[in-house]
Amino acid sequence: MNFKNLFVYWRTVLTVAEITLRHQWNDSFILFAILVQPMIIAVLALFMLRGLGGDYAMFVVVGSGLTGLWSSLLFISGNSINAERWQGTLESLVAIPTPFEVIIFGKNLANVVQSLISMTSSYLLAALLFGYTLKMVEPLLFLGSVLLSVFAFISFGLVIAPLFIMYRGIQQWQNAMEFPVYILAGFLFPIALLPNWTTPISYILPPYWAARALHETSTGAGDVQKVILAWGLMLIFSVIDLFIASKLFKVMLYKARVDATLETE
Amino acid sequence: MKTIANNLRLFWQGTMLSYIALFAWLRPTTYIASKILMPLAQILFFTFLGSYASGGSNVDFYVIGNAIQITAVSGIFGVTMSIGGDRWAGTLPYLFGTPANRLMMFFGRAFMHIIDGALGVVIALMWGALLFGVDFSQTNMSALGLTILVTTISTCGLGLLMGCLSLITANVMFVNNTVYFLLLIFSGANVALDTLPNWMQAFSQILPLTRGIASARILIAGGSFSQVAPMLMSEIGIGLIYGWLGYMLFKWFELQAKRKGTLETV
Amino acid sequence: MNSIEVKNLKRIYRATTGVIRRTTKEIVAVDDVSFEIKEGELFGLLGPNGAGKTTTVKVLATLLIPDAGEVRVKGLDIVKDANEIRKHIGFIFGGERGLYWRLSAIDNLRYFASLYHVDPEISKKRIPYLLDMVGLNGRGDERVQGYSRGMKQRLHVARTLLHDPDILFLDEPTIGLDPVGAREFREVIRNLQSEKKTILLTTHYMFEADSLCGRVAVIDKGLIVALDTPSALKKHVSDLSVVEVETFGVAEEVVEKIRNLPFVDALSVKDQDQRQLLLVQTKLGAEAVPDVMAALDGMRVGRVTVREPTLEDAYVRLVGGQV
Ligand SMILES: Nc1ncnc2c1ncn2[C@@H]1O[C@H](COP(=O)(O)OP(=O)(O)OP(=O)(O)O)[C@@H](O)[C@H]1O
Ligand SMILES: [Mg+2]
Repeated sequence: MNFKNLFVYWRTVLTVAEITLRHQWNDSFILFAILVQPMIIAVLALFMLRGLGGDYAMFVVVGSGLTGLWSSLLFISGNSINAERWQGTLESLVAIPTPFEVIIFGKNLANVVQSLISMTSSYLLAALLFGYTLKMVEPLLFLGSVLLSVFAFISFGLVIAPLFIMYRGIQQWQNAMEFPVYILAGFLFPIALLPNWTTPISYILPPYWAARALHETSTGAGDVQKVILAWGLMLIFSVIDLFIASKLFKVMLYKARVDATLETE
Repeated sequence: MKTIANNLRLFWQGTMLSYIALFAWLRPTTYIASKILMPLAQILFFTFLGSYASGGSNVDFYVIGNAIQITAVSGIFGVTMSIGGDRWAGTLPYLFGTPANRLMMFFGRAFMHIIDGALGVVIALMWGALLFGVDFSQTNMSALGLTILVTTISTCGLGLLMGCLSLITANVMFVNNTVYFLLLIFSGANVALDTLPNWMQAFSQILPLTRGIASARILIAGGSFSQVAPMLMSEIGIGLIYGWLGYMLFKWFELQAKRKGTLETV
Repeated sequence: MNSIEVKNLKRIYRATTGVIRRTTKEIVAVDDVSFEIKEGELFGLLGPNGAGKTTTVKVLATLLIPDAGEVRVKGLDIVKDANEIRKHIGFIFGGERGLYWRLSAIDNLRYFASLYHVDPEISKKRIPYLLDMVGLNGRGDERVQGYSRGMKQRLHVARTLLHDPDILFLDEPTIGLDPVGAREFREVIRNLQSEKKTILLTTHYMFEADSLCGRVAVIDKGLIVALDTPSALKKHVSDLSVVEVETFGVAEEVVEKIRNLPFVDALSVKDQDQRQLLLVQTKLGAEAVPDVMAALDGMRVGRVTVREPTLEDAYVRLVGGQV
């Protein structure tokens, strides 16, 4: 996406985000993806990692929250264009003066921010139900990490959605893409457990850097330099993703006008 | 004799049709993605998490637990789709209009998923041997095979009940997903049950999968069939109870729907 | 000045079928269509099902790329300048889809207003004004889900007027409305025209085109078969009369037999429950009645009338009797 657009259209982005939230607030699939599944994963991980000692509860809270972020990005943001098509609203969103990617950016903003509920609910679960005393080691840096992660996730989502539309072949793998990212991004265990050859894959995944920044700032496992590195890489990936997305959206919209795929019967 | 043949045909048709209908829109790659890669990814995730938790000492425990748990993909999602599919396709009124034997019609829908689920577990265990070196040299293979079959049947029993619930609720996927994920905790696939709070242990005992997973762990570690036989008996009993409850609900649903004329609208 | 120029437009759909052996089928939806619409004109596009009306409108609304031909809106090219064009156009594709059903009408409008960059201060006033104009005042807070079909279609009108476009594309806007609703709807369209908007309207209803449109293009199988004012089109058939015969269960062969009578210029059949109304166009007028009755050969017939041709008859003749 053209960065300039974000400034020109900031008001539209916010309206789109607001309306998106209101439109889907009681959608049961979303409820499952951002609330039920991460909480069950949190419960499981709390039971499983009991023996580790130390700050594992905080680690689980952040990690299971991240699973909610990724699953909602994959399934909700990934399908955001398709969902509009099924509703028959895609045509009205394309043939208007607002660039289409601005709209999808707003929708992804809503989805990603909304999926921060995952982390919050895991926190409440661990604190209230399991009675852990959870302490945030670097609250300010953590907050910064959250903001950058949100941006990185939104941008990543902007690449996924048009890919899913243009190549049905990729979308078929959607279900099979959920857990691998949990694994490769080190949400709930360090990637050092994995074979060496997977490390480069982790490095090119924005969720990996988000997980690092969030874990390091919440448990205090990393120093400021490490955190800054993760921040920098998230920013770089966001810029790259937005650039790729702008190209993809152009191609996708042109292709859709050629193939007559803006609506379904 | 003729009615038996008729019923068999009905059973078989329901079986094939529901299975074909479910996967007709899928391409082979989708089938691979959903039947091989998705289970693999899930097993990998929980096994790595488990080995992180146990310092790598107890990998078999997680591999076996999650491999058997894979049967719930077919048992719950597959079976529910087969039963709920009629409602979405709007064919339910036609089915209820036929004199077909309801029992055959009902259980026919689960049959293919039993095979599918059992196959899924076998593939999952092969991944376990291949990637995590799970050792089957001490295993009574036929007993393990029976365990897989029994566990799959009992999970499909729960699936039949869930499928009938899907005829009543609007949020099928929500309920299914939640049950599937809860099983990850309660079946003992990932946590040793005796470390859970008492009420959770008690709940585990009335679910399918729990005893199947325990049996598989014993057998693969070299245990004998007689050690697990009582557990397998209970496992299949539990499955049959769920299946029967599902069948009752199915009949009740048909009755209600006919009485109130809500076949299409529910 | 021309608002819209369409020159030799062609649009093909390619549908691939089959999983293993893929075959591509080509459907020529619009073959060779040319027309111009002047600023402030209300232009009608008439044609049977599948004639290519919607396809033409979608090309104009920047939703489809043409395969050949040149299409300009406000002098701008539909492919190169799509973004600029989009600021000036509004469109409706008849039917209920295309709204967020789980949101209220006001939220729907607020959303689209923001996508059209209508200043929030302005849209605050414009939304109630538009709701009032389409007769939805007082119901704007309800979820669209609970709206009737007609209400949804009227909400679409409000939606497409948010940014006050100069050009409107209305694809069968009255489809599925009851007669009263359709009449109110036509009133709305008339008002829009009096606001000097350029409007392209497609419809199946002759009287609608007759009463609303300044000029009408009749399109069939992707080709324009006539383009003129409604009264000029009627002149095509002014030398004809229409014999209407009410029948009960007439056979296809009999219809064909009548169609092939030497004095019959065109024939169409209108189904009404158990009855069929045969509309026979002929220069003979009342003199044709005996021969038609003879062809019906003792079958039960109801009312028989002879009347002047309407635009519909002209249309029937142009598209060869298939309505
Ligand atoms: N997306 C599509 N893919 C393939 N063929 C299509 C598609 N859309 C339309 N067609 C075909 O193109 C032809 C023209 O369709 P179009 O919708 O433009 O007709 P129309 O004049 O609007 O008809 P109607 O009066 O039924 O609305 C038809 O034969 C139709 O089947
Ligand atoms: Mg049309």
